[in-house]
Amino acid sequence: MKKLFLASLLLVLSVSFVSAQSFKTEEGKATFYSKVPLHSFEGNSEKLVGLVNLEDGTIDFYIDLETLDTGNGKRDKDMKLTLETKKYPFAEFFGKLDSDFDPESSSVQDVSVKGTFKIHGEEQEIEVEGTLQLTDEGLHVTAGWILSLLDYDIEPPKILFIKVDKDQEIKIDALLKPVEG
Amino acid sequence: MIKTATTTLLFSLFIFSFSQAQMERTRANPDGPVDETFLTKNIGGLGTVQLLGKGDLNSMIQHNFGDVRGGIDTFFGVDEGANVRIAFGYGLTDDINIGIGRTSEEDNIDFGVDYRILHQTKSDRIPVSVVLKGNMGITTGEKTYDPSLTERLNYLGSLMLARKFNDNFSFQISPMVSHFNTVVKREANEELYNTVFGLGFTGRFKLNERKSISFEYLPVIGDRISDTKNHAAIVYELETGGHVFQMFFMSGRWFTEQHLLTRTQTDFFEPNFRFGFNVNRVFGLL
Repeated sequence: MKKLFLASLLLVLSVSFVSAQSFKTEEGKATFYSKVPLHSFEGNSEKLVGLVNLEDGTIDFYIDLETLDTGNGKRDKDMKLTLETKKYPFAEFFGKLDSDFDPESSSVQDVSVKGTFKIHGEEQEIEVEGTLQLTDEGLHVTAGWILSLLDYDIEPPKILFIKVDKDQEIKIDALLKPVEG
Repeated sequence: MIKTATTTLLFSLFIFSFSQAQMERTRANPDGPVDETFLTKNIGGLGTVQLLGKGDLNSMIQHNFGDVRGGIDTFFGVDEGANVRIAFGYGLTDDINIGIGRTSEEDNIDFGVDYRILHQTKSDRIPVSVVLKGNMGITTGEKTYDPSLTERLNYLGSLMLARKFNDNFSFQISPMVSHFNTVVKREANEELYNTVFGLGFTGRFKLNERKSISFEYLPVIGDRISDTKNHAAIVYELETGGHVFQMFFMSGRWFTEQHLLTRTQTDFFEPNFRFGFNVNRVFGLL
């Protein structure tokens, strides 16, 4: 009985420990830039969902691609068709911190993350450079990388007049709040 | 002792795997508005609940020709000349659109407003989209008499109720009323009415992401002007990245509903109709 109590205590402690080290948001910003002369545009969403667990270093982000807004309804529709968002509604990243992070520091720290990025039903192992900063409000995360559409089998239907850069610059910026235990 | 240790280990493993687990992926806006009930603001001549987004400008050129019954002599009506309406629509907001058009027949210039009252949601919390449409036309062409500005005006009011039943089928009912300040009697026994009511039926069958077959039918309800028929059209719609092309056979000669209700003299089911096509192009101005 005593052992069972200890086990339960361990369970509770584990949960609270994990919680104290976890940060989450559902309102992160994600932006992509498509740069083609005369056809440059960007798409934005403020519905990036992210969970960072500093205890085990896991990083989990995803976004509902239908929340991306390029500022033009017609272009949004073409983008959704190109990404086949009905079939593949999310872009997602799941990985781990691949560099040291000092949880005692409140300064901006450069970090690198390795993991799997998935979009359009295709997965690629990627490494992303970014920053983490612990503030009074939570964990501020920024990152950016180049997404090559061809790696994910993304090709605008030939019938579209939309012109997109095959290399898209992706940026994310999110303030993750501590997860309450 | 061993049992307890095993339990503890299992718990620890559970916690470890829990902390490693990915979040469940959930859609950001499962109760959001349905998109693309129809492809454009018009099918052939009838309006739809599909409004332009804020800042979008739609330019539209609509044409139709003479009766196909003219046969090869008139190249199935094409030689008889086109009625052309050039129109622009603009999204003031996602729910309010304004527009202006000019029809070559009678040199009619029309101004329109669409106001969305309800937008169907994906969750069916709101099961239909409802748009109120108003249009006012001014006949600027020369007449055999000299009408005042007021006498040249014509109007339309329409309440469009539509539902997207699934990805491939949408249907709309549009009770409407047209009013002409002036109607001109050309024959002694002709029955004329300034105000005419109608009930529009519009449907869209989506063939794939780019193509659909649509139809429209506009029976007059109540009093009708002598020798007029109910307008109907069957439309093939093709969307490319920048344009929506609509090719159709329609009985009415016009692209404004007040005229379709009161000027249509060919009977689609006779069968008699004319070939026509619309070209829509949307530009984002913001």
